[in-house]
Amino acid sequence: MKGLSVGEKLFIEGGIAQDLRTDGRRRLTYRPISVETDVISQANGSARVRMGGTEVIATVKAELGRPNAMQPDKGKVSIFVDCSPTAEPTFEGRGGEELATELSVSLERCLLGGKSGAGAGIDLSSLIVVEGKLCWDLYIEGLVVSSDGNLLDALGAAIKAALSNTGIPKVNVSAEASANEQPEVDVSDEEFLQFDTSGVPVIVTLTKVGRHYIVDATLEEESQMSSAISISVNRHCHVCGLTKRGGAGVDPSVILDMISVGKHVSEQLLNKLDSEIAAAEADEEE
Amino acid sequence: MRGLQVSLNQTQKIRLQRALETLESISSKANSDASVVVADTIPLNYEDGVLKGHGTLDLYGEVVATICGVVERVNKLIYVRALRARYKPEVGDIIVGRVTEVAPKRWRLDINYSQDAVLMLSSMNLPDGIQRRRTAVDELNMRTIFEENDVICAEVRGFQHDGLHLQARSQKYGKLERGQLLTVSPYLVKRRKQHFHHLEQYGIDLILGCNGFIWIGEHVDPTEDMMVEDPINKSEQKGSKFEGSFGNQVQERIYTPLETRQNICRTANAIRVLSILGFIMSVEVIMETVSLSISLNIDVHEMLGSEFCVLTAEKEAERRTSSKKRG
Repeated sequence: MKGLSVGEKLFIEGGIAQDLRTDGRRRLTYRPISVETDVISQANGSARVRMGGTEVIATVKAELGRPNAMQPDKGKVSIFVDCSPTAEPTFEGRGGEELATELSVSLERCLLGGKSGAGAGIDLSSLIVVEGKLCWDLYIEGLVVSSDGNLLDALGAAIKAALSNTGIPKVNVSAEASANEQPEVDVSDEEFLQFDTSGVPVIVTLTKVGRHYIVDATLEEESQMSSAISISVNRHCHVCGLTKRGGAGVDPSVILDMISVGKHVSEQLLNKLDSEIAAAEADEEE
Repeated sequence: MRGLQVSLNQTQKIRLQRALETLESISSKANSDASVVVADTIPLNYEDGVLKGHGTLDLYGEVVATICGVVERVNKLIYVRALRARYKPEVGDIIVGRVTEVAPKRWRLDINYSQDAVLMLSSMNLPDGIQRRRTAVDELNMRTIFEENDVICAEVRGFQHDGLHLQARSQKYGKLERGQLLTVSPYLVKRRKQHFHHLEQYGIDLILGCNGFIWIGEHVDPTEDMMVEDPINKSEQKGSKFEGSFGNQVQERIYTPLETRQNICRTANAIRVLSILGFIMSVEVIMETVSLSISLNIDVHEMLGSEFCVLTAEKEAERRTSSKKRG
């Protein structure tokens, strides 16, 4: 990200104060979103999401594994994010690692629920094959291809789209093994089970610039932010996760205000995203 | 179709395809042999002798293009000018750049060239407007003229032993404030007589830099720009910085008026749409796109949507067909 001159900074701030941002949007307007599903054939499910100049790819890979001894009736999900140097030269080498860790931690908090897996957007008990012995491990990977701000929201949307694109192969447990042995399995390559993704929340990031907050900030607007709050909201308008970035303090009443605005915005985003995902899947079948 | 960044539905795809085909059919007759893709043979006249330049290769006695672009011929030299490449400066070009470094007696600017450009302290007018030798004091005060990250406008002076030199010896050149900078591919901006445009009906300045940097900002009068106004401007700026930290009521006043801002954003989005479609930027085309959006009553942010993109392509096809008929 190149720096901005004083005049440009003032112009961006003024635009946000006057409710007309540099690309003509209002404070709570998103850039056009486009979704493409099944972009990577090796994965069980994948999606590419574009939000203006931001482009991310999310893939879901399912592997058979052993469930955790503490939770024998649940599968495992892990999220990794990688920032490609094509997005920004500073991501070269280990440069993008800090941002990638920050993003993956926020995504885990927003999507995966508590340590026990209760209340997660993805129903972990649907991943179990044989209780205590065999379960599906989901590896969700996000790749930032080009970065123009609002990466977290885009990654959240891409993961949602990728999950709804995911087909988990049907597993036939062939022989009943004794208590200590791993059961023999036969993984079908024709029959796939779909996920129920209605519970997966969307993430809305409200970026505070000056006295106002905006959604879907571009890179230039993000460089002017004092703090940002990411709220993940599900279909029932319940807040599933909350993360704050940026060092500046925010008054608690402002946070409450932001949450209610975020809830309102998330409803529109969810509907928009659902229709985009449906359109992408219809496109793919053609 | 090109890799467009907009998602289109089926009818929009067909409409856009048709518009692009129309455009292609108009342009292809005029200079089909000038544009080449990789491995195209470049037709030659061997009697004159040939000097192979950049982007060409001798293959089995034929000269073949190794990059996509336009064939340029200068006497015996034949080279291919790539379209989507970095900017290649020519003397006298008007460019917009961003200061990357304040160095002894010079500023270094990023102008989308393969190396940074140099603007010497001695090749620009001083704020007080007096012609004199630059002293050590002037050198110390360079940051009061341009700081790092400032966007400035200058002219290409030429190549010296230490790189590309710029000059800013007129009042129309200098720091650009209160507006936004857009970057497009340099090939979209053609060299013209006029690169500074004051769009009076909108109250904005539009500077089409030859390097693909386009500045759109609030109009400033060039006469009172550098010589007289500068000290006042400076104090105003400093004042605004303080006011910003104290209270927003005061700051609200010095913001760009909403109407002007709307015009700036509308023009900026028109340029973004044209850049997505890969149409040459000229002030006429930009203004036509702006008035098209106004006449259709399209919101400023909706201009970046797919529908307006298709409309612009159709309009451009129509315009070029009609101008061709007239010509």
